[in-house]
Amino acid sequence: MNRNLLRLAAALAGAAAVALPAFAGAYPLQVARNVIMYMALAITWDMLLRSGQISFGIAGLFGIGAYAAVLGVLRAGMSPWLSIAFAAAFAGAASFLIGFLILRLRTMYFSIVTLALAEIFRIVIHNLPEFTGGPEGVVLEGVIMKGSASGLYWLTLGGLAVALAASWGFEKSRMHFALTAIRNNETSAKSSGIDIFRWLLVAFVVTSSIQGLLGGIYVQSYGFATPDSVFDANFTLLPLAMALLGGIHSTIGPVLGAILLGLAAEWLKLRIPYGHLVVYGIIIIVVILFMPKGLYGLARKVSGAADRRRA
Amino acid sequence: MKRTFAILVIAMLATGAFAQTGDTIKIGGIWTLADITGKQGSMAAQQAIEEINKAGGVLGRKLELIVVDDEGKADKGAAAVEKLMTVDNVELLMGGMASGVELGKIPTFKKYGKVVVSTGAASYKVEEALGADSSWYFHLHPWDYNQGASYVEGWDAIQKQYPKIKIKKIFLAYEEGAFGKSSWDATKTLFGTGGRYVVDGASFKSAALGGGDYASVLEAAKSFKPDLFLWAGYDADALPMLEQAKAMKFSPSIYLGAPPGWPIGFGTSKLSEKVMLYGMWAPTMNDTNAASKAFYKGFVAKYKEEPATYFAPLSYSAVYIIADAIKLAGTTETAALIKALEATKYASPLGETISFSKSNIIAHQGIRRQKILQWQSGRQEVIWPFEAKTATPVYPFPAWK
Repeated sequence: MNRNLLRLAAALAGAAAVALPAFAGAYPLQVARNVIMYMALAITWDMLLRSGQISFGIAGLFGIGAYAAVLGVLRAGMSPWLSIAFAAAFAGAASFLIGFLILRLRTMYFSIVTLALAEIFRIVIHNLPEFTGGPEGVVLEGVIMKGSASGLYWLTLGGLAVALAASWGFEKSRMHFALTAIRNNETSAKSSGIDIFRWLLVAFVVTSSIQGLLGGIYVQSYGFATPDSVFDANFTLLPLAMALLGGIHSTIGPVLGAILLGLAAEWLKLRIPYGHLVVYGIIIIVVILFMPKGLYGLARKVSGAADRRRA
Repeated sequence: MKRTFAILVIAMLATGAFAQTGDTIKIGGIWTLADITGKQGSMAAQQAIEEINKAGGVLGRKLELIVVDDEGKADKGAAAVEKLMTVDNVELLMGGMASGVELGKIPTFKKYGKVVVSTGAASYKVEEALGADSSWYFHLHPWDYNQGASYVEGWDAIQKQYPKIKIKKIFLAYEEGAFGKSSWDATKTLFGTGGRYVVDGASFKSAALGGGDYASVLEAAKSFKPDLFLWAGYDADALPMLEQAKAMKFSPSIYLGAPPGWPIGFGTSKLSEKVMLYGMWAPTMNDTNAASKAFYKGFVAKYKEEPATYFAPLSYSAVYIIADAIKLAGTTETAALIKALEATKYASPLGETISFSKSNIIAHQGIRRQKILQWQSGRQEVIWPFEAKTATPVYPFPAWK
């Protein structure tokens, strides 16, 4: 498929996504919001993965973004819109500081530390009950845009647009070469003059900010935050499974994975109410075992083989 | 790609999973089906629906229960409400258990304003989120502060009735999440004020949430020497905590657990003997309550398993309350239904007649008391309230051998 055709397909898909509220009811919009939220998180996870760093910290940064937004409204009197921007800024600032501590770690050491982030943040929130509401959380007076199904959908879509723009920005800029070089061989990347720590820090802060932004959108859409809900491990595990299913080291892979897994989860739930999670888990295991490069990797393999046959 | 997604969504809408059937009164039920409380709650609700339909239905129409799993997540709970309201076009909603999921559903409940008969969500935060103008919300389960007050009432009554039972020091081991913390807050406030009781407590990470080591909390309890040791956690904590208490030879005069549901087969473990518990229902109530017996027999006959949690008779009761209200209202129109529900007087399998009255914030609160029970010879016996009593308490909790 040539590049222009791909651009046209992306533009059409984008237009269809924006126009979805015109022809879909509240339920498909709600399902789409859930899929989009996890899709955006999957993209941000993949963006950092392109440097070779496997982060399990999505839920932690999503959660502190969520709390920054909700406390911004309740304690600082921010408007809901400002609180979402504040969530992104707060998660970005926190990740900037954390980055100095953890970005010199590599492989499983980095992964383990990021895994602990959600737990550390959750414990901090638990232990400041006067300010954060403690384990019981906090409730907003209402949800943003008075809970309009279309408005909330577009808001979440806006979060996805930010993630997509950042991901494509990573792919089309010097960032791509820097992160790929770091992933392939740090020593040769360093000898080529790449400032490894600086590029990793930029990638970590950008992805964390977006995760915080999404956390802010989430709490403004549901009107509450509790540590158990916003630091839920699913905010780490599902995006990871989606990116692996769709294909890593690309923007399109997590998008494909999120659509497939998100819709499959909802469909299975309605078809097999008392056993869908088992089937869902089996699908993930089978796909990862037999398609380790994901759907996008498979598609590229098939199209590469077709090109070779034509040649 | 998005177009494909839209087509997929539309295709989903066309499948049998979403299909509507005949002239029935549709009730939407939302539970966490991977959890015993939600699974058995939905099964019991279906049992009630079938009984009512077998008896001729309501207003000449059959009832239909459409169940959607909320997966224990707020966003999935909200999606379930949207699906039931806009795709299935249900007349009203029921179900619920975890407060965190209920909080996620509330904005969507408010958007539609249809009657909701809630069987769970004990946290006062849910009541705060609902607000005073949520007249369409009928909350059956006691709020956390109702439960705390009923425990104080119960232990006061038990000490008066059985003078050998003396409680001064209470220790609460509570799971560190919202459920445990609200139990701790209520216990501190309700037992701690006035100086009649000395209350202490410590948190633990529940085995259901990746924990399972209770050594530090049990050590703290042991050194406090409580007359009443109480733990507020989940079913997964019940046996491991007892095992560790036994290993540490920690045997307070009263050992009491307050999980939302007990593990199936807990009563068959020797460790369960003389453990006390809070709950709303036990199969032993079949001996004293005809409604309980009818529910129990129907459940076992239909599903070939025993109801292991009070959420089963609670959900069963919710369906009968809804059916009676529809009959009384003569319609499923929301305003008439609210008025009819306000007139509810339902003699439930839970051993009490359920009606609705104002709580701290909302207008329609149902049950306000929990019961105090004790495992005796593998059976949960009710020891308080005395009008539902099935056995006298065995005191003290025996020392470990």
